[in-house]
Amino acid sequence: MDITHGTVPPAENSVYRLSNVSKIYRKGGREIPAVVDLDLDIKPGEWLAVQGKTGHGKTTLLQLLGGLDRPTKGCVEFGGSDLATATESDIRSVRASSFGFIFQTFNLIPTLTAAENAEAALIPLGINHANRRERVNIALDSVGLADRAQHLPAELSGGQQQRVAIARALVKEPNVLLADEPTGNLDEDTRDEIIALLDTLWRERGLTLILVTHDSAVARRAQRIGLMRNGRLTVRQDTRA
Amino acid sequence: MFFLTYLRRELRRRMRQAIFIALGLAIGIGLVITVMGASAGVKAAQAKVLRALYGIGTDVTVTTKPKPPKGAQGSAPIASGPQNGQNGQNGQNGQNGSRAQACINGKCYTSGTIDTLDTGNYGPLSAATIARIAHLDHVSAAAGGLVLTDNRIVLPTGSNSRLVPPTSVSVNGTDITHPKLGPLSNAALAKGRTFTATDKDKNVAVVDSNYAAAHKLKVGGTVTLASKKFTIIGIVTQPQASSPPSVYIPLQRAQALASNPATGKAMTDQVNTVYVTAASASDIGAVQKEIAHLLPQATITSSSDLASEITGSAASAAKLAGALGKWLAVLVLIAAFAVASLLTMAAVARRVPEFGTLKALGWRSSRIVSQVLGESVGIGIIGGALGVGLGLAGVAIIDTIAPKLSASVPSAGGGAGPSTHVAGGPGGASIVSPAASHTTIAVPMSASVTVTAIVLAVLLAIAGGLVAGSFGGWRAARLRPAAALTRVA
Repeated sequence: MDITHGTVPPAENSVYRLSNVSKIYRKGGREIPAVVDLDLDIKPGEWLAVQGKTGHGKTTLLQLLGGLDRPTKGCVEFGGSDLATATESDIRSVRASSFGFIFQTFNLIPTLTAAENAEAALIPLGINHANRRERVNIALDSVGLADRAQHLPAELSGGQQQRVAIARALVKEPNVLLADEPTGNLDEDTRDEIIALLDTLWRERGLTLILVTHDSAVARRAQRIGLMRNGRLTVRQDTRA
Repeated sequence: MFFLTYLRRELRRRMRQAIFIALGLAIGIGLVITVMGASAGVKAAQAKVLRALYGIGTDVTVTTKPKPPKGAQGSAPIASGPQNGQNGQNGQNGQNGSRAQACINGKCYTSGTIDTLDTGNYGPLSAATIARIAHLDHVSAAAGGLVLTDNRIVLPTGSNSRLVPPTSVSVNGTDITHPKLGPLSNAALAKGRTFTATDKDKNVAVVDSNYAAAHKLKVGGTVTLASKKFTIIGIVTQPQASSPPSVYIPLQRAQALASNPATGKAMTDQVNTVYVTAASASDIGAVQKEIAHLLPQATITSSSDLASEITGSAASAAKLAGALGKWLAVLVLIAAFAVASLLTMAAVARRVPEFGTLKALGWRSSRIVSQVLGESVGIGIIGGALGVGLGLAGVAIIDTIAPKLSASVPSAGGGAGPSTHVAGGPGGASIVSPAASHTTIAVPMSASVTVTAIVLAVLLAIAGGLVAGSFGGWRAARLRPAAALTRVA
């Protein structure tokens, strides 16, 4: 098992390349470092799990990777573009086409059905209605919820809601899946179901999966595990056989 | 369409709040419609009164002040009482042997009946003046008329006779060649016929229905004016709210029988009022200026000037609708807009995680803003529809109640009606107003809703929705996705 601290030698064909990335929040005149001098390379099709205690920068790192926030300094290179300096429009475009997000609290829109929630991810891509419906049906089928397409989130269990969220993340066929504690609100059985589903989808689709979790049992399914402590990332290589 | 589906579902989810906002807007808009309807109703009531006085097509009336009359007491008959100290009687009154006398144009009478047509407070205008006014640039038509009062005094014939109170009748000398101008133009024929061209020099009269009923006059009967019998050819009714002349006679006959107070001679080719129609409503001001230039001494009165002369509760209602009602509606609308904006912003605040998620999915800020705006405009349209309903209900309530407004207006003969000074007789000295200079009329108020008012209301509702949505949308647009998603955690 290789353990790297700080700088990672650049890979030949990385999907992500983070160099000297820091994110510092300012609150009441105080500076709170969330991510500190982070270097990281992520290869296409890789599954990276990020563990760490609450408040040590896991979610901030995921937001930087997902173009939801910008670093205070450093470079977040994705597909040849630096998300730290790209225009808001370019970042939005990348989010719309390349990233799929899964959240701990599912973040489904309560007034929309499962199918419509998944369809919402296709709206920014300007796909026509018929094509959207077709892709939504495929996505819901892939997570085993084809028969619940017209159900509202409130009519679904927690596990089913997370499946809808996964379908929403995958419906646009992204390169990268960013999951923030996707099993944090689920019981053990459901957790295992969801992780098994993510594992299957990751294998079948060749996704790059970056998953933030407290749960070591979940993290152990990843190829690499990173540990965030006080904003610094330590990565253990090739945990999976 | 995804936009509409999302919009509909969100409005349904926040139905209670949406209804609350819509009702707030509806109350404001309903108030605007009701106030506009009431204001239009009051104006219509005023116009009804004024039309009856000056004719439906009259925009401007022209009069002049009379020149100093011949003789100290003018042309109006002056009846004086006991000739104290002149005839050696005890001077108590006519009952005690004194003789009453009436003087007109310097000539005094002690017996008989004096029946004159007087022009009163209006001076004469020549027929040529009418022609000159008619040829002004912004004038469509002009017609003259004589606003007269028939004053009748019967002097006692014997030493013990009592002095009979004088009577007076408002008379209008009507230009029968201009049936659309002047007071008769607003009248509806109830019986008989109205004037024709052949009546111009005949002793024929058209009588107001109220006067006819009070004096039991019928078509074919007669009415005496200036000691001449006029055959009644028709009976007309004027709107309930008006104070019309009692008798209409052909202008040519009126000119022959009325006397010019300055000269004491007949008013041949003279009138004392000119009724003018402007080429368009927007030309009324120009017409007033042109006539003022032509006749610097003339009194030029427009419909709006006349409306301002109306006093009583009609005027109060007009002021109430125009000032208090307008500002009340504006304040309620502002309050409704403010509440709608605050509630929309609060709703956006509650939906921060939702909008953060949509931004994470790659939604443009403009798309999220348009979603919020769409929802607000949707609520605005619902509020507008409810507001139109409330406004129509308010107007219907006003129409049902039809509150009576009192309008104190210058009467048809009022301006012209001279005061007849009567001295002597049993009552002692008194002043008799043959036709009161102002008449108080009960005007039923009815509100009306115009398409303009409804369109304005709908536009206001949409504007209210846009204002509320703009605040909410602005807040949604400013959200940073990371910060919005942190709220979820």
